[in-house]
Amino acid sequence: MAETRYIKAVNQALADAMEADPTVFLIGEDIGAAGGSFKATRDLLERFGPERVYDSPISEAAITGMAVGAALTGMRPVVEIMFMDFTTLSMDMLVNQAAKARSMFGGQGSVPMVLRTPHGGGLNAGPQHSQCLEAWFAHVPGLRVVCPSNPADAYGLLRAAIDDPDPVIVVENKALYAMKGDLPDDREPIEIGKGRIVRPGRDATVVSYGAAVAMAETAAETMAKEGVEVEVIDLRSIQPWDEGLVLESLTRTHNLVVAHEAVEAFGVGAEIVARMADIGFDQLDGPIVRVGAPFAPSPFGKTLEDAYRPDASQIVAALRRTLA
Amino acid sequence: MTDLVMPKFGLTMTEGLLTEWHVAPGEAFRAGDILFTVETEKVANDVEAEADGVLAEIVVPEGETVPVGNPVARLASAKDDAGSTGEQTKSARPDQAPHPAADTEDAPSARKLMAEHDLAREQVTPTGRNGRVTKGDVLRVIATPLARSLATKEGLDLHRVEGTGPMGRIKARDVEAAAKLSTSHQPGPVTKAEPAHARQIVPDAARLATARRVSAAKRDIPHFYVTHEAELSALTALRRQLNADADGPRVTVTHMLIRALGVALTEHPAMNRIWAGDHIIAFSQVDIGMVTQTPGGLRIPVIRDAGRTALDDIAAQARDLAERARSGRLGASDVGDGVISISNVGMMGVTSLTPIINPPNAMILGVGAERQLFRPDETGAPALRREMTLTLACDHRIIDGVDAARFLADLVALLETPLRLLRPARGTADPNAGE
Repeated sequence: MAETRYIKAVNQALADAMEADPTVFLIGEDIGAAGGSFKATRDLLERFGPERVYDSPISEAAITGMAVGAALTGMRPVVEIMFMDFTTLSMDMLVNQAAKARSMFGGQGSVPMVLRTPHGGGLNAGPQHSQCLEAWFAHVPGLRVVCPSNPADAYGLLRAAIDDPDPVIVVENKALYAMKGDLPDDREPIEIGKGRIVRPGRDATVVSYGAAVAMAETAAETMAKEGVEVEVIDLRSIQPWDEGLVLESLTRTHNLVVAHEAVEAFGVGAEIVARMADIGFDQLDGPIVRVGAPFAPSPFGKTLEDAYRPDASQIVAALRRTLA
Repeated sequence: MTDLVMPKFGLTMTEGLLTEWHVAPGEAFRAGDILFTVETEKVANDVEAEADGVLAEIVVPEGETVPVGNPVARLASAKDDAGSTGEQTKSARPDQAPHPAADTEDAPSARKLMAEHDLAREQVTPTGRNGRVTKGDVLRVIATPLARSLATKEGLDLHRVEGTGPMGRIKARDVEAAAKLSTSHQPGPVTKAEPAHARQIVPDAARLATARRVSAAKRDIPHFYVTHEAELSALTALRRQLNADADGPRVTVTHMLIRALGVALTEHPAMNRIWAGDHIIAFSQVDIGMVTQTPGGLRIPVIRDAGRTALDDIAAQARDLAERARSGRLGASDVGDGVISISNVGMMGVTSLTPIINPPNAMILGVGAERQLFRPDETGAPALRREMTLTLACDHRIIDGVDAARFLADLVALLETPLRLLRPARGTADPNAGE
C-alpha cells in the first residue's frame, strides 16, 4: 500500500497497461515531450518511445478519428483530450463512429479505445475550460463513461477502461489531480458499472461521483453531528450506472439526494432521479433532491466560481429538504 | 367582482386554516349568512357575509392555510349579477348549479367534487358532523409513497393520520406513530373482535380542532400555577345590592371577576403582555377572554377594554357575547387578542380548576365554586366565611413566579374590597409603565 496522487495513479495505470499489452498506445496534444498538460503522461515517452506516445497536432477531431481507426484495426489507443470542453470537436468520431461500430458491423468489429479527459472547475479556468459534459456521452448508446473520485479508483477504472472491448470515456476531475490517496500494491481493474458505498447510513442516501463524493462525505459528517446517518454512494461508473446498488440503498434509507458538479438541468442526476422515482417509488418518503451547478456557464472569477460550484452545504440543505 | 379575504382574528393571527365552505360557487347568499369557517390556533370561527351577493369563485379550497389578507374567494355583488353578461349569469344562477346531491347536508364543495370525479356518495366515507361528507373526505390524501405502502400494510386509513411533513404531507413516521397509537389505545379491531360494550366514534371537526389546540398549548407553553383563596363576603354583599336595583343589568361573580382582572391588569401593565415566539406583544388595553361552553364546542369571546369599562357595561357585554357564542353568531371582532381568559366552573360545585392556557394568551384564571367554611378569626374562634379558589395558570416564558403571585394577591385584594371595582383603575394603562 503506497500513498500516491491522483495524477500519479493515472500515470501508473497508463504505464502498467502499456507494459501489459503492446497494442496500447497514447495519443494527444503535448503528451510526449511535455508529459501532458497535467503531467498524466510524464516520463512515458522516454520509457515507451515515440511510436507509443504520440504527440499529435492540435486537432481533437483528427486525434479521435485516428484512435477510432486504430481501434477498429486491433490497437488499444488511449486518447488524451486536454480539457473536456474540447471534446466537442471529437463528437462526430465518438458518437457516429466509435459508439456505432459494434452494432453497425453486426458485432464483427469493436472500438476498444479510451478517451481520457479532465472536467470540472475550481481552478478559475473560465467557462471554456471548466465544464462537466459527461451527460452528453452517457446519453449515447455504445459509449461507456466512468468518473473516478480518488487515486485508487483513477487507477482501477482506467485499467478496466483500457481492457474494455468498447469505447470508454474516462472523466477525470482536474481539481482532484493533486489529491493524495492509497494505491494498493496488488493493483486490479475496477469493474465498470459497479458503484461503491463510501459511507454506510440509515436515514438518507446521497448518490455522487467524481469531486462530489468528497462533498457528500463532508455533508454526511455534518448531518452525523445531528444524529442523521447519511449513506454516501460513489457511482464510479456513470454509463452504465449501478442502479441496483442505489435502489438497494434507497430501500433502506427511503430518502435520496443526487449530487454532481455538472449543471443540474438535464444532467446525470436527472436520469438517476427519474429511474428511482419509477422503480423505487414505494420506497420514497420524501422528494428526491438534486444538487448540481446552476444553469449558467461557469464564471471565471474566483468568488463567482466558488458560488457557482456545488459544495457540501448545498448537499446538507438538500438532505434537510428530503428529510423534512 | 370583489375579493373575499382571510380575516384577521386578533393581533397574533398570521394565517388561518379554511376548514369549510358553506356556500358553493355560483350560489347566492344574504348578509349574515355564514360563508366559510376558519380555524386559527385559538378557535374555529364562522365568517358571515357582510352584504348580499353571489360567490363567483372559490380561490382557496377547504383544508388550505393562507396568510391573513389573502383572497379566499371572488364575490359578485347582487347588483353585479343582475347586470352581468349572459355567461356570468349562467354560472351564478343557483338553480343551474350541477349539484346531484343538493338535498343532502354535505358541504357544497364536497358535492361539487364528487360530481366532478363521478363519485357516488356511498363511495366516500363521511367524517363531518351528522354524517356529512366534507371536501376533505373526497380530496386525495397527501402522503409519501412509503407512507402509503406502510399504511396499506398496517391496515390504516390515511384520512385518519396527521401529516407532519411539509404542507401536512404524511410521512412514514406519521403512519408508524398512528399505527403505534391505534394498537396501544384501541381494543384492536384487527387482532380481536371489538367488545360489545365499546364502540369507535369519529370525532367531529370542532372536537378535533379543540384536541389539536389544547395539545399544542400544553406541549408548547411551559405552564406554572399559583392558587389563592378569595374571601367573598363583601363581594357577595355588593353584588346583592347592585342586583336589587331592577333597572341595572344583573351582575354575576364572573362579571365582577372580569372587571377585577381589568383593574388588576391596568395596574400591572407588565402583566398585560404575551409571548409571540421571537418577540413580546404589549397591549395598551385590557381584553379578557371568557371561556364559554357551546353546543358546537368551546368558544372564547373577548370582553374589550375591561380596564376602562364600567362593571354594568361589562355585564351587558358579557351576557351578549355568551348568548351569541351559544347560538354560533360570534363575529370576527368578538374573538382574539387579550392576555388572559377566565374559566369559571364554580356553578358545577367543583372546588378548583387548573386550566390550560388558550394561546396566544399568557394566562388563564380557573375559578372554583363559592363555598362556606369556618376560619379562625383573630381570637382563634371559628368565623363563617364565603370563599372561592382562584388558580392562575401562567406562561413561564414571559411571567415569573413572583410576578404571578403578586398579581393574583392584588386580584384577590380587589375582590375582597370590591368597591374598588366601581372606581377607575389606578395608575396608567401605558404598556411600558411597568418597565
